[in-house]
Amino acid sequence: MLSRSTWLVTCVGAIAVAGCSESSPPFRLNMTNVVAKQISLDHQQAIANILGGMFGTPDEPIALPETGLDQRLLAMAAGPVWSDKEGGKHGLYRRHCVHCHGISGDGQGPTAAILNPYPRDYRPGIFKFKSTYTSGEPTLGDLEKTLHDGIPGTAMPSFALLPPDEIRALVEYVKYLSVRGQMEAALENHVAEELDANAKFDPATDPAVQQLIVKDLLGPIVESWNGAKDQVIRPEDGAIPPAERPAGDIAASVKAGRELFFGPKANCVKCHGPTALGDGQQTDYDTWNKANFDFITATNDKISQIDSLRQDLAKATGDEAEQLRKQILEAQAEYGSRSKRIAALLPPRNAIPRNLREGVYRGGRRPIDIFWRVSAGIPGTPMPASGPAAEGAPGTLTQQEIWQLVDYVYSLPFEPASMPQKKPINTEVVSK
Amino acid sequence: MNTGPEQFESRWPHRWAVLLACVTFPLLWVGGLVTTTDAGMAVPDWPNTYGYNLFLYPWQTWLSGPWDLFIEHGHRLLASSVGMLTIGLLVLLWRTEERRWMKSIGCVALGLVIFQGVLGGMRVLFDERTLAMLHGCTGPMFFALTVAIVVFTSRSWTKPTLAAVSGAANIRWLSVATAVLAYLQIMLGAVLRHVPVDAEPMTFMLAVKSHVGLAGVLAIHILVLAILLQIRARYVRPLNWLSIALVGLLLLQVVLGASTWIVKFAVPAWATAWISPQSVAVQDGGWAQTHVITAHVAVGSLILGTAVALALYCQRLLVEVPASNGVAHRKLGAAV
Repeated sequence: MLSRSTWLVTCVGAIAVAGCSESSPPFRLNMTNVVAKQISLDHQQAIANILGGMFGTPDEPIALPETGLDQRLLAMAAGPVWSDKEGGKHGLYRRHCVHCHGISGDGQGPTAAILNPYPRDYRPGIFKFKSTYTSGEPTLGDLEKTLHDGIPGTAMPSFALLPPDEIRALVEYVKYLSVRGQMEAALENHVAEELDANAKFDPATDPAVQQLIVKDLLGPIVESWNGAKDQVIRPEDGAIPPAERPAGDIAASVKAGRELFFGPKANCVKCHGPTALGDGQQTDYDTWNKANFDFITATNDKISQIDSLRQDLAKATGDEAEQLRKQILEAQAEYGSRSKRIAALLPPRNAIPRNLREGVYRGGRRPIDIFWRVSAGIPGTPMPASGPAAEGAPGTLTQQEIWQLVDYVYSLPFEPASMPQKKPINTEVVSK
Repeated sequence: MNTGPEQFESRWPHRWAVLLACVTFPLLWVGGLVTTTDAGMAVPDWPNTYGYNLFLYPWQTWLSGPWDLFIEHGHRLLASSVGMLTIGLLVLLWRTEERRWMKSIGCVALGLVIFQGVLGGMRVLFDERTLAMLHGCTGPMFFALTVAIVVFTSRSWTKPTLAAVSGAANIRWLSVATAVLAYLQIMLGAVLRHVPVDAEPMTFMLAVKSHVGLAGVLAIHILVLAILLQIRARYVRPLNWLSIALVGLLLLQVVLGASTWIVKFAVPAWATAWISPQSVAVQDGGWAQTHVITAHVAVGSLILGTAVALALYCQRLLVEVPASNGVAHRKLGAAV
């Protein structure tokens, strides 16, 4: 009798608890962008509807033919976590990625705030470690490598134990979230810049809007992704140092690389510091943190704007005063919505340059990985490109010079830290 | 509460309770593995396994099947064994125990193990992380109860040798607080393990800080309790070895907690001044990650069980030094 009643109470309690929570979280709009651009609720809804129609939901993603995404791979990666009788894994993104990168790929998963660096926000379509020119999207191979090897020195793990098809599915889903995020940004920019607050924006009733969305907004995004394989930086055969080299050649290359490191042409010392411990500039931001920093700064500026309007109001009369009152109310409302948003933002962190003496290379430790980092820079960060911006374009450094820097970077963990350094170029930074 | 020694002759309830606790601990470990490896949804039905009665599922398919199925079905089989052992314990208590409250505790244990089983089943049927979190909190509670039954049926409890120590009331209070804190810490750990995928980062950070902060508070409680017991009641055997075991487990747990962070999130940037950052990335689902994290969860339960046993023995064995007696530490001898 006791067991039966316990059973009954348990079942009812468990069902009640289960009914209280949500098991299928939705995609979220980029509210920082929405608030900053003051997009109306109607337009927010319209954007959400368009994105829903084009990309589906986290449980049921859609691979629109125009995007070239693979529906089968997306289905493997999307949805809740489960595994079938044969051991096939489903819901791969929520199994492996969502806790850091978030359901929308916004880098704001539950663990984001405790990690340094923060998890990547896929939505701008900017990826740090890739083989392509600075402005190009990564190739699928680049993303697969990042998943396979992980990012040493960060919380991004290696998924080397996953079968290749699961890594491929995850890469496809990352690309899907990125294309979706870029499309969202394009829609928000279009609505903010081209439409009045009350203007209709409904592709279901307006073929011109359909045309705009698919051709003008989605087209360039897809083109950029599809063109990534043509954007790969290929080192010139003559410039690649042979695998086996006499010690004297390596020493000469390291010496030349060192000159470049401290010299005005490459000027690596500015950020990586005179000891290469990453003790150069410390106050810059990467793209993702800069967006939050700018949002917070602009919000704080609203206070002085409101104060200034109040001072004007004290002197104004009649219609002018009425107009100022209206402006103050609008500014206060904007400040309120911005403040609410700031509470949910990850606090901006400075982009601290890499300590090159640790021997930890986040984008990979092969010579070609370091070559790509120096040549194309690290997109989204203060690390600039030293090579050409596109095939055939001139770069700050020649390929031979980049390889010399690669040799010097490789030598740094073994170079005595007390080795006398040349006088740095950026004395004002270093003296801090 | 009738505690006369002549009433507890059969040793079988104690032996059975020890067996139950010893089987429950691996069950917690396997349950932890289910969560660590995200294998909870490997079997979509419950209480059956892919349409088979749980006990009739072909063992060849189970043992040679994929990891997720192996670990989830194994967890269910082990849980069933614990359930049956609990029924056996209740029968034994009913037949041999004179203490009515012990029979009631047996009933509570059975109720709790059934509740836990249903929670596990509902977690599968509803694919609900909140239920998984509750399931993760109830398991250690049941383990603590099995440890309590081991204590209640032990000779140190039924034929106690009381010890008069100064500040006994404070020590008793501290021991209870330690056990409560150990359980709260497990609950916070369960929150971290089963966080919803759409939880806000700041909420999770708060939970992490609470878990780390509470670990510090719990560590202080354990150390103070152990030091007090070593100074004032070292000659009371169960208090002596349980307090030493608790400190040992605490040290192990601190190492496992730090290791959990490192194998999950790599060496934190602020710690690279003392620990070299790894030149290769942490490996998702690797041996170290899987077993270090699971061990951290399981040792948490072991700390709870030890703290509960220590708290119960403190209540039972420690008495205040009589006001007329100036001697601080004194064995009172046979049972009262």
